[in-house]
Amino acid sequence: MSQTFHEFVVHRSPALSRTAYLLTGDHQLAEDLLQSALARTYRHWRRIRDGDPEAYVRRVMYHQQVSWWRRRRFTERLEADPAPAQAGHPDPSDAAALRVTLAAALRQLTPRQRAVLVLRFYEDLTEAQVAAVLGCSVGTVKRHGHDALVRLRAVAPELVDPVPERSAR
Amino acid sequence: MTTRLRDVLHTTAAQAPAYQVEQRALATARRTRRRRATAVAAALVLVVLGGLVLPAARTSPVDPAGRDEPGALPDRIGLPPVGSLHATDRPRTGPASVIFTGEAGRLTYDDECSLVTVVDGDTDAYRVVRSGWEMTAGTDVVLSPRGRWIAHDPQRGDPRVDIIDLVTGATRQLRSGVAGTVGTEPAAWSPDGMSLVVRDSVPIHLDRSDHRRQLNLIRLDDGSSVRLAEAPSGTVPGVVVAFAPGGDRLAWQTGRVVTVAHIDGSVIASFPLAPGTELAGKGAWTPDGRWLTVARRDDARWTLRRIEPATGADGGALGTAGVDDVVGLQLLGWTATGVPWVVSYLPHPPEAATYTRPFPNDDRPVYGNIGSVEVLSLPPDGQPPTLLLTAPQEVVSLDIAAEVIRAGRTRAADPPGGVGGRFWIWTALIVFAVGGIAAYRSRKQLALWWENRQLRR
Repeated sequence: MSQTFHEFVVHRSPALSRTAYLLTGDHQLAEDLLQSALARTYRHWRRIRDGDPEAYVRRVMYHQQVSWWRRRRFTERLEADPAPAQAGHPDPSDAAALRVTLAAALRQLTPRQRAVLVLRFYEDLTEAQVAAVLGCSVGTVKRHGHDALVRLRAVAPELVDPVPERSAR
Repeated sequence: MTTRLRDVLHTTAAQAPAYQVEQRALATARRTRRRRATAVAAALVLVVLGGLVLPAARTSPVDPAGRDEPGALPDRIGLPPVGSLHATDRPRTGPASVIFTGEAGRLTYDDECSLVTVVDGDTDAYRVVRSGWEMTAGTDVVLSPRGRWIAHDPQRGDPRVDIIDLVTGATRQLRSGVAGTVGTEPAAWSPDGMSLVVRDSVPIHLDRSDHRRQLNLIRLDDGSSVRLAEAPSGTVPGVVVAFAPGGDRLAWQTGRVVTVAHIDGSVIASFPLAPGTELAGKGAWTPDGRWLTVARRDDARWTLRRIEPATGADGGALGTAGVDDVVGLQLLGWTATGVPWVVSYLPHPPEAATYTRPFPNDDRPVYGNIGSVEVLSLPPDGQPPTLLLTAPQEVVSLDIAAEVIRAGRTRAADPPGGVGGRFWIWTALIVFAVGGIAAYRSRKQLALWWENRQLRR
């Protein structure tokens, strides 16, 4: 039997909220993003309720996030060069400090880079699945993923596993 | 390399609270729906208003025939293209020069109903009019003197005449007011276009096995009518009706009798026609209004003669050349220089001898014997007829606007080919319908495609 929209929201809001937060890096923006995605889902509820509504909401969130960024990118234009890692960063061993660092680092990424990171390393999707969700090619996913990791490594190297150094011979 | 990133992402995400946005999402969705519904309603209102306003805005209030130049007669006509626009469709053509009917496939529909073809006054634009019967142009579908209006009997079971305005596309329904009538058909226009002579059929028996026929003149401005004649069963009053140039008198033929009357119905004279003669047509009055013209058949030759409208006495030959080997002649009008224009009916098959038989009472000429028509001018000095217009086979009747004849102008014509505007309209509608169905059936894929397209912008 089809679940109601209310039941769907009650059951899936926590997981969707987490994804929204990772996508935006900001609670207020995450709320807006989830609200917008759920509003759109509600308008099409009759059509999607018997399918996979959660996948639909996630897909809307990813696309909506990129769409919003495109409209507002003049205010969010990234600097040409990534900001160097701050000397005063908190100790990565501290979980709370690590979350702050992650939020700050994610804001240095473009929404599509952020979306690729979340889909690849939070949702654990393959590159092909990410490409299908975002409606782009696998090559684009690879490029955004690579760029995202490069930028992360530059602004918050503590978030990324260290690259093993080659021993001098 | 990304293990730590995965851990941090999960740890960070786990700290995010569940946002309570359901009610706001519902409100947003409903607001969006209301806005869309409002936008759709506004668009519909604009479309409706546009449909109401544009016809008035785009239609000239002045009769383009009132453009001082009347149309010109095309030197040939062709069958209307399949799917031709109707006379009431946009774009309008304006006043016509010629209308015609026939038996060809593109001139009929439903097996026995006529598609009356309308030829624009100045161009080779064709339009069609669907009539409820088999029609003969000039007899029961008639073109007004300036070519602006067409009167015809549109449908069975509803006794009325429809008058189509070729300038505005509007159709006026005209009823004769005759008690018990079961059929009203137009017969002739007055020269000023303000009156119409119509024939009514009134059943004599309840089973409608027999009818008496009435001839009435209806004024179009106030709807008043004057009874001109009534004929017993089997006889058609006004099989030919001709107005005098001033419009104050008219003559009509019933059986073998011609009646001349004032337009108030008072009879001036009534006399039998000489054997072998017929009232010549809607242009039977000479331009000076002193004579009536009859067409006389001598075996296979037709000639025009004058008769006295008060007595029917023969006034001698008109002095124009005879027309040979035709089923009949109809005198449609006179040019300003006094040259009569006639439509001659070519026999079918050409070698048939039956076309020289006398006409029955209600058929002038016998349309079953006609293969095609031609328009001729007959110089008054007896010079051979000049061929003005030719028509394809199976065009059997033709009417020309009196003002076009009066102007006496002809033009080289190139009748339209291919397919008409309605064909393209229906084709487009079918394509849209099929495309719409296909789009509906693949709406989910389209929705995904659209979202992805928005994403890529």
